[in-house]
Amino acid sequence: MKDPYEIRILPPAAVNLKRGAGGVLGGKVENTHYEELTVYRTFPFRFDEEYISVRNAKGEELGIIRELAELEQDSREELRRELQYRYFLPRVNRIVSVKFKSDLWLWDLKTHLGPTRLAMRNLQDYVQLHSGGRVILSDISGKRCQITDWRSLDGHSRKWLEDTL
Amino acid sequence: MQTKFKLPEFFQRQVSEPLLLECKADLDPEGCFGEQWIAVSEEKLVVWHRDEAPRLTLPLAEIKDARAVSAVGGGSLHIDTDFGPVVAVRYTAALIPMFDYAAKLIKAAAHSEELPVLSERDLPRSCPQCGNPLDEGMQVCAQCMNKGKLAIRMLRYAKPYKLQMVIAGVLLILTTLVELIPPYLTKIMIDDVLGAARQSTRLLAVIGGLGLTTLVMAAMQAVRGLIGIWVGSKLMGDFRKDIFSALMKLSLAFFDRRQTTQFIGRVNNDAEAMRQFLTDGVIYVIGQLLRFVAVLFILFSLDWKLTLFALIPVPFMVLLSMKIWPKIGRLAYQQWRSILRLNMLVGDSLQGIRVVKAFGRERTEMSRYEQTNTEVVHNNLRMEGMWQFIFPVFSLVTGAGTLLIWYHGGHKVLEGTLQLGTLMALLSYLGMLFGPLEWIQQMINWTSTAMAAAYRVFEVLDTVPEVMDVHEPVPIGTIKGDVAFTKVTYGYEKHNPVLKEIDLQVKSGEMIGLVGHSGAGKSTFINLLCRFYDTDEGSISIDGIPIRSISQTDLRKQIGVVLQETFLFEGSIAENIAYAKPEATPEEIMRAAKIANAHDFIVRMPDGYDTQVGERGHKLSGGEKQRVAIARAVIHDPRILILDEATASVDTETERQIQEAIARLVHGRTTFAIAHRLSTLRNADRLVVLDKGRINEVGTHEELVKIPGGIYRKLVEAQQELSKIKGVEV
Ligand SMILES: Nc1ncnc2c1ncn2[C@@H]1O[C@H](COP(=O)(O)OP(=O)(O)OP(=O)(O)O)[C@@H](O)[C@H]1O
Ligand SMILES: [Mg+2]
Repeated sequence: MKDPYEIRILPPAAVNLKRGAGGVLGGKVENTHYEELTVYRTFPFRFDEEYISVRNAKGEELGIIRELAELEQDSREELRRELQYRYFLPRVNRIVSVKFKSDLWLWDLKTHLGPTRLAMRNLQDYVQLHSGGRVILSDISGKRCQITDWRSLDGHSRKWLEDTL
Repeated sequence: MQTKFKLPEFFQRQVSEPLLLECKADLDPEGCFGEQWIAVSEEKLVVWHRDEAPRLTLPLAEIKDARAVSAVGGGSLHIDTDFGPVVAVRYTAALIPMFDYAAKLIKAAAHSEELPVLSERDLPRSCPQCGNPLDEGMQVCAQCMNKGKLAIRMLRYAKPYKLQMVIAGVLLILTTLVELIPPYLTKIMIDDVLGAARQSTRLLAVIGGLGLTTLVMAAMQAVRGLIGIWVGSKLMGDFRKDIFSALMKLSLAFFDRRQTTQFIGRVNNDAEAMRQFLTDGVIYVIGQLLRFVAVLFILFSLDWKLTLFALIPVPFMVLLSMKIWPKIGRLAYQQWRSILRLNMLVGDSLQGIRVVKAFGRERTEMSRYEQTNTEVVHNNLRMEGMWQFIFPVFSLVTGAGTLLIWYHGGHKVLEGTLQLGTLMALLSYLGMLFGPLEWIQQMINWTSTAMAAAYRVFEVLDTVPEVMDVHEPVPIGTIKGDVAFTKVTYGYEKHNPVLKEIDLQVKSGEMIGLVGHSGAGKSTFINLLCRFYDTDEGSISIDGIPIRSISQTDLRKQIGVVLQETFLFEGSIAENIAYAKPEATPEEIMRAAKIANAHDFIVRMPDGYDTQVGERGHKLSGGEKQRVAIARAVIHDPRILILDEATASVDTETERQIQEAIARLVHGRTTFAIAHRLSTLRNADRLVVLDKGRINEVGTHEELVKIPGGIYRKLVEAQQELSKIKGVEV
């Protein structure tokens, strides 16, 4: 009955995620146990906790979790944690400063994962404005941070952002 | 080989054996910014977090495999043990290459294999001077390339026009000096001529003097203007040439990461901004400074007390300028950005105009444009509005100075301690003094735009092409055409290999068919052979010479390609066919077209071989374009021929004809052909099946179809089924 051309939405009850002793996400999906599972956000920018693709270690899709919130408590927390690990995209809580020092833009940021600093060569290649006020900041080394909605930042941060952009 | 990390002393003490690897990860176990240390010895792998006691210790004997699992924006090092997989550390994107290496090392150490070698590229790159991360391909740290150097580099462009610039400069000095004469003459006129009676001869003389200075000034200005325009145009030409040739030299990887339409604007606008700075800016600054000093000198010698009064507002102006400067730079940058976006949008929509029309999305495009357009208007208003605000403020300040002079000077004249003419002269000179101050703003504007432009331009000029010719390339002459891939691994992003450990020996004259699913890495394979990109690991050699030591020009002379995306240049069909060999005779062009089965359709067109094909060859059908592209490769007469889906858009009958022609053509040439329609590859000596970046099966058609469950067999079966339905021969 499995139609290979159909997107398979996993019923919340069929998913039971656990973290193995080694810290790797695994668990039961539709009655099969997997030692290692990878999860992908299908719309990383639009949906944080919806439409999560669950794949085995070989990268084959087992199905899509429509909404993280529908899962039962333990699975939900593990999945949320795993997504946070896999999608390393710290949310910016506060822009401490943005300096233009001899042709390098240095952003000092406070994120929900701790303070960090980004260095950009220019703004047009490294700052992407998305719809809904989302801003993705990337760094020369490939590190990225996101501002979920610049309109909801505090005044201090907004001023920095408005002054630079 | 060592990473540049040094394990802290108190961790170091816990491991007695010599270390194979010590490095730091930049995330803590919870995935927050922090640090963890990892050390590998011949016995074990140890990970520390904050505490002195290790967070994780794994004997190497228990380790089955180590993998660097890439995630988004970072990754994690997974260790497979007998008891299941273990996450050793997590790290951000900056450290991905290093941990890729670490994984390989751990695996090799656990299996007692030869340890891999750490290459410079695996380490996070940072500027030796300031520690900020470096861009790939950048040698100069952006941080350390300061404004002064930028200006000097810009000035270097003016060097060839030294003579003209000097003449313009001298003329400027002369004009400045001559300009100083009229107010003085006015003073004489008022005080000495008009004041005294019966001085008509002297009146005429003074008027004559005034007339002469005006004439000289006008003449000099005209000459200077002409020189300025001449030098300026030449400079623009030089800038554009340099930017464009730098762009042409850059490797494909540079363009993969950037929006290419932005360069159209860059080549023109940035060159213009730099030119303006060099011709108008530099000369003007020198001229104005000179005038400033001269006027000041005259003013003081006329009446130093009054002059001091007039200068009272100057400090305010300096202060104001200093406050405004950074703001202007920022506004200018924003404006530049929004215009760039607008240009990009136009470029995008027009390039895809067919898709836009096909889906009837003209309105969406218009509203997208409208949005960006509004932004540009908004930025423009802010920028220009700023000037509208600054000008009056500056005039107000200078006006205050003039008022002060009128007040004090007027009193003195009434008292009779000052002559009226001197007061008039003072006022005129004061006007000249403050004139340049208003000019400072224009200078600020020019300089900041020019600096930004120069920075962007030099960014391109300084980027070292990732694919570089070696210092002394091996001359190859005409090659035989043996090709060897040895353990080639390559990924467009280093940590995500698209081709893995490809080993393949191809004898000269052999025809290799590359097959595999879409995205398997077939095009990448030939991109590497053409050396559009350099391999990450392993090497490719032609006739036993690694292609890295062959100059790219020599290499490409020997290789003819028909790429998957056919691109025809603006020009006639004949010019397009003869692209690689402009000296080709009409006969040669026709012969090549004939081989590509393009001759007939070309001749049937009213303009024949002189038919103009637009930007993308829009006047031709997909299959016609492909045949022109094949002819282009044919006329190149390469030793190695590469056909990437060269016949995908032609019907089977045409394809058969092209194939026959190619079969004759490939005779004696090494050929790589990629095709999804397997029948295309029926002449291939060997078929190479790629799957997920690895070579899966190699052999002749007959050999491969015999492999039960083989990928090739499946592909053939699928196509046979399809053709059965359609009743077509495969
Ligand atoms: N310029 C690029 N930058 C980044 N990734 C790329 C680039 N070109 C190709 N890739 C990726 O590399 C992989 C292999 O691509 P490649 O073009 O070699 O496939 P292919 O076998 O030629 O497929 P097809 O048969 O569809 O032409 C794909 O996953 C693709 O997304
Ligand atoms: Mg391809």
